[in-house]
Amino acid sequence: MSTRREILKAATAASALIASPSLVFAQAAPTRARTLRAVMHGDLAAFDPIWTTANMASYHGGLIYDTLFGIDSQYRAQPQMVQSFNISDDRKTYTFVLRDGLRFSSGEAVTAKDCVASIRRWAARDGGGQHMFRRVTDTPVVDEKTFRIVLREPYPLLIDWLAKASTNVCYIMREKEALTDPQTQITEYIGSGPFIYNRTESRQGARYVYDRNPNYVPRSEPASFMAGGKVARMDRVIMENMADPQTQVAALQAGEIDFVEWPSLDLIDTLEKDRNIKLEVMNQSGTMGWCRLNHLHAPFNNVLARRAMLYLTHPTEVMKATFGNEKYYRGCGSIFACNTPTENDANTDWFKGGQNIDRARQLFREAGYDGRPVVILSASNVQHMSNAGLLYQQWLRAAGVNVELVTSDWGGVVARRANRNPPDQGGWNIFFTSASGSAYSNPVSLAGHASNGANAWFGWPTDEKNEQLRDAWAAAATPEERMAAARAMQENAWNYVPHVHYGQWLQPSAMRANLTGMIGMPELAPFWNVGRTG
Amino acid sequence: MLAYVIRRLFSTLLVMTMVAVFVFLLLHLSPGDPAAIIAGDNATPEAIDGIRLKLGLSDPLPVQFVRWIGHVLQGDLGVSIFSNEPVLKLVGQRLEPTLSLALTTLVVAVTLAISFGVLAAWKAGTWIDRVLMVISVVGFSVPTFVVGYLLIYLFAIELRWLPVQGYTPMNEGLDGWARNLVLPSMALGLAYIALIARITRASMLDVLSEDYIRTAKAKGVADESMLLKHALKNAGVPIVTIIGIGVALLISGVVITETVFNIPGIGRLVVDAIAKRDYPIIQGVILIFSGVYVLVNLLVDLTYTIIDPRIRY
Repeated sequence: MSTRREILKAATAASALIASPSLVFAQAAPTRARTLRAVMHGDLAAFDPIWTTANMASYHGGLIYDTLFGIDSQYRAQPQMVQSFNISDDRKTYTFVLRDGLRFSSGEAVTAKDCVASIRRWAARDGGGQHMFRRVTDTPVVDEKTFRIVLREPYPLLIDWLAKASTNVCYIMREKEALTDPQTQITEYIGSGPFIYNRTESRQGARYVYDRNPNYVPRSEPASFMAGGKVARMDRVIMENMADPQTQVAALQAGEIDFVEWPSLDLIDTLEKDRNIKLEVMNQSGTMGWCRLNHLHAPFNNVLARRAMLYLTHPTEVMKATFGNEKYYRGCGSIFACNTPTENDANTDWFKGGQNIDRARQLFREAGYDGRPVVILSASNVQHMSNAGLLYQQWLRAAGVNVELVTSDWGGVVARRANRNPPDQGGWNIFFTSASGSAYSNPVSLAGHASNGANAWFGWPTDEKNEQLRDAWAAAATPEERMAAARAMQENAWNYVPHVHYGQWLQPSAMRANLTGMIGMPELAPFWNVGRTG
Repeated sequence: MLAYVIRRLFSTLLVMTMVAVFVFLLLHLSPGDPAAIIAGDNATPEAIDGIRLKLGLSDPLPVQFVRWIGHVLQGDLGVSIFSNEPVLKLVGQRLEPTLSLALTTLVVAVTLAISFGVLAAWKAGTWIDRVLMVISVVGFSVPTFVVGYLLIYLFAIELRWLPVQGYTPMNEGLDGWARNLVLPSMALGLAYIALIARITRASMLDVLSEDYIRTAKAKGVADESMLLKHALKNAGVPIVTIIGIGVALLISGVVITETVFNIPGIGRLVVDAIAKRDYPIIQGVILIFSGVYVLVNLLVDLTYTIIDPRIRY
């Protein structure tokens, strides 16, 4: 019979045995002080930043891949992996030379072949890339470090597309992965960026671990958005998938995590009072609330009914209901979002006049609205969308329109919005979504700015003039010409009304007060340059 | 007995087949096109058609069902739409946290609940009984997530005794493992304790009013022996039944508790999958949870024969 002492001995030995692997890992794992724990706005569901436009995939890409060019804080494209480039006299041939010492985390050198394959795969998926590649005739590899892009006609946006930070970003992968069918996800995640994805330590749906890439050679310039030296000052970055907003804030207050990208606005007051926490708006171009209209079916297949929606929409009511504190939202009449390089006030009298339900009612009548229910898809688990659903329902009813509000979670909206059938056969008339102001500012790369009918984004608007103006914007040789094209595009857009906006908000991020060097920029959460004091 | 077990296993198969049909139809009756979800944003109609063809989504439903059930029977629950990882692997990664939370809660809750129930019955009508029953009513009435937030506020934010969230695998140290499980187990276990304690008390009160208990008392049997040896064993059948039924409560509670305490278990896996419409994961987890529930109830039925030898199947 075992004595109590023998049982205790056995239990201690068993505990030591069970714990022993952790002792081994503990020696290799970075200390808490050298580890950044961040809770981002969502889960990293898919890892291929070319296959999906999900921002989380792009965050993942930003950590492990590098780009040929990167935008700086003035939205100017700066060389990143590229050492030098030149443009031929006829402006139809671009020659790029890579920096010395670029290596993938697997140890292989980055070559021109990798770049060409990556650009081609990116261009098959990205709106800007597709627009550019309609003019590309060839992408010859000159030598290990040199390649060219040859165009049919001059295309001034080429460098801007390669530098852009909005999804899809032109990340450079190994040729092996970049040759994967663009419609299929890659399965290996090897890049030449400042961090390495640690697959062993990561748990799908729970946490994603990134270790500093010892092979990375940062540029010497100071970090600025996606440009400059991407110096990894932390040994490890962990993106935690923490769903509950209350728990996120409690964990931040307790110091278990360092950064919450989108803390619940209900809890901002609590965070503002905590001296160990600081709040910063990382994306000053904000996010636009987007009311997408279905152009295939009545009543919004009639331009008058779509114009009615401009007058129907209150510039800030949805924002007020959602965010409360005025410092975090504003109304915006520009189709390219406010506080962006393309913001302008062309054809915005409807916005300056504020909400006008009587005018909306009159326009619906002129459009021949026949009383059929307008089906609104509303996501109850996304606060601004849920509020938008309720307010639009109220406004439409006030304008004499029957409404069927279909409430589900966001996944349900995503599943139904692809349905092109009439609203009473599983389709829809209105759904709500959002996009960053930075994405909105680009007339070509945001899929929602296209009005090319069946090939357009959900809602499928058609407007030939809009497509010509997008091309004109892309072809503009000077900033002045580009701004003029943007104004013309907005003038036209608010006449045919592809969609409407219900406000712009500035989401603050919350972080421990001792974090330093966090780069605030649209579209990405770059964790290079981030350090910790104390 | 053996014949009964075989009969029950057969009926279990029938139940699981019905669950399988439901789970299969979940994918096909839900709005939206799985091929469009798989194809991702900005996919062309041709790409979506290609995926539909590749996955056989255009085949008649019975054909698709037979193909799917064939894979399930071979242990292949499919592949996650988004991460491309096999569902079984994802479930395997999440098994330890969920099992740790559920078993810890079960052991602690059953031990405490039976003790409280027996004590309340023994001291029926006294302040001890009333206090325990008030606690159990409150425990059953307050939602798990509210209990969770209160515990986090008190023990993690104010007192700083325990971590707010997360999970430490057992192989990284039993201390960390236990520290991470205390608050979630308390939050999850409270309703379970309340439920079992009330049933235990009621069942014990029934038994304590029986003639043989009066006889035992008259013979001078000690209270402890009378309560635990004579009464509790005979009050056992309803208690075991409620423990079995409570497993469903535990499963739904695990989903909520894992979300509140950020435990990377199967509950979180399925909540995230529902939000993303990752159908293979939803199907796989429902099948597994259903199987567990059916098996637990079979075990409960078999336990009756141990507690009460008069029960024969």
